[in-house]
Amino acid sequence: MSEVVIEGLTKKYGKTVVLDDISLKVSAKEYFVLLGPSGSGKSTLLRLIAGLEEITSGSIYIGGRKVNDLLPKERNVAMVFQNYALYPHMNVYENIALPLKVRGMTKVDTNRKVREVAETLHIQGLLEKKPKQISGGEQQRVALARALVRDPTVFLLDEPLSNLDAKLRVEARAFLKRLQKEVGITTLFVTHDQAEATTIATRIAVLNKGTITQVDDPYLLYEKPKDVFTAGFVGSPSMNLVHGRARKLESGWEFYNEDMKIGLGKNTLGSETEVIMGIRPEKLTVSRDSSGLAGTVSNVELLGSISYVTVNVGKTTLVVQLPGRPDMEIGDEVRVQFHPESVLFFDTENGKRIDTPTD
Amino acid sequence: MKALNLLVIAILTLISLIYLFPIYWTVVTSLKTNIEVFTHPPILFPSQITLSNFYVSVNVFRAVSQTAVGSIPWMIDSTIIAFVATLVSTFLIAAPAAYALVRYIKSVWLARLILFMTMIPEAVFVVPFFIIVAKVSLLNTWWGLILVYISFSAPFSTWLLMGFFNDVPTSVEEAAQIDGLSPYQIFYRVSLRLVTPGIIAAIILSFISCWNELLYALVITYSPFPAGAQTVPLFLTSFIIVEKSFAWGGLAAAGIFTMLPTLIVGVFAQRYLARGLTLGSVKG
Repeated sequence: MSEVVIEGLTKKYGKTVVLDDISLKVSAKEYFVLLGPSGSGKSTLLRLIAGLEEITSGSIYIGGRKVNDLLPKERNVAMVFQNYALYPHMNVYENIALPLKVRGMTKVDTNRKVREVAETLHIQGLLEKKPKQISGGEQQRVALARALVRDPTVFLLDEPLSNLDAKLRVEARAFLKRLQKEVGITTLFVTHDQAEATTIATRIAVLNKGTITQVDDPYLLYEKPKDVFTAGFVGSPSMNLVHGRARKLESGWEFYNEDMKIGLGKNTLGSETEVIMGIRPEKLTVSRDSSGLAGTVSNVELLGSISYVTVNVGKTTLVVQLPGRPDMEIGDEVRVQFHPESVLFFDTENGKRIDTPTD
Repeated sequence: MKALNLLVIAILTLISLIYLFPIYWTVVTSLKTNIEVFTHPPILFPSQITLSNFYVSVNVFRAVSQTAVGSIPWMIDSTIIAFVATLVSTFLIAAPAAYALVRYIKSVWLARLILFMTMIPEAVFVVPFFIIVAKVSLLNTWWGLILVYISFSAPFSTWLLMGFFNDVPTSVEEAAQIDGLSPYQIFYRVSLRLVTPGIIAAIILSFISCWNELLYALVITYSPFPAGAQTVPLFLTSFIIVEKSFAWGGLAAAGIFTMLPTLIVGVFAQRYLARGLTLGSVKG
């Protein structure tokens, strides 16, 4: 069973801490995504697992074996790079065969194995071609084939979809998911694209500035973000985040700032402090009713079946997701309605989510 | 647009003519009769064409010149010396050194030192080199010259190849590392192949400079003709028969003859030079 366990992993370049005390457990056959903005250390984490960089402190175990001091080739991991990193001077067959060749596999076995993998990835027809003669999508499959051909225990993917155009990316995403299921291999996938992460992952670890902020399945990550960073990073368009204060009135708890006052219904907050209120665009509605927060439409974006309406409430900007085409234009006076039960609160100081139990 | 194109073409033609004229002049001189060679003002198009310059030796005050056709033994010596020096300096010294400097040592100062070495005039080392080569008893041998030429072309080739290795994407080498290649295998199976245009450039430049080198050939292999190991530039000096008396026709003929190998190397290598560096390994 090839699970990957990371314990107290720290990576420094000189005095710069890139990864700070990371602990993580990826189960066997899991499709695990490392999600974070650029500079969060997600690629470095992947490179440390691959053995391309030295660990400053902490340990990595692959399949129960400590691999800290093992060379990349001794770890039996496979990696697909963002730019695929194919060997340009070799044809596709030679690219896929090289890992077997250097391991001393016989020509007959190599040939059989390469053709087998090529068939799985539907690239049988490309074997004689050079990497520059095939398309980006095909290059990616060749890179995958080269990684899979030697039956690695762990599969590491470093933003493998970011060089493909949008349509191909969706296809490749589905293909990768199917392939992973078919081959049944522990996979770590690095991406900065939260939509990509949530569509393929069994679990996601969110990284920010070298630390893991949350590890959860995509649903929980979206619905119950543990802190304000995760809340803002996961989901597109981003969650609306509004600074203000909480106070307890006779009618119940209320969130307020200079632009708005929002009753929280039955939800309670522990203390009267400064908070950040978060609400997803699809949890808001906007209409010309008389109830709700008064605001002005500043932008309307139509995305086919849904649309995003940006409303300025005083100095606060709220993005609202609506089904279909909205009957409003820029400059219209509208009202925004909140559903108190879908509002999240975060501590202003440490960014952690504040529980809001109901009375 | 069209006027601009015409202007560009005109300028390029002019530059090409400037470059080509010496070659044209050599060719024409080699085909002229001895009288037309010395005619003043010079004749651009000979009225009479002769091939005698290629095989008839000139006799001035009983000193006899070589002939172009007679250059074969010197051509063989030159070819062996230039090839061995070039291959050793490129593949055994410059390529590994450049790779190590770019990927492992990463010392800017060492790199600058190598560049600095290429800037020192070669004449500075004539005396020390003569003494060294004499002490190891390699005067008048191929190896004496080969050693000297290696020491001149290796630093330049190293400097040249460092730029090319720098352009090899590290991800390709990392992929090779994960695929199980040893550092040595990564060097000769992947990186070295990716710098082929650089290797070719280094070979051509090194070959030409070895082929044309006169000063050290004169010092290290000088002895009465024909000697154990003498290169083409020395052979060409034999057309200076006595002081201020040049066998111009014969010299031009021999010049044409002896520039053929470098011309062939250049033409052969050109198609490699024109190819892109990374051949599309990395997108975006």
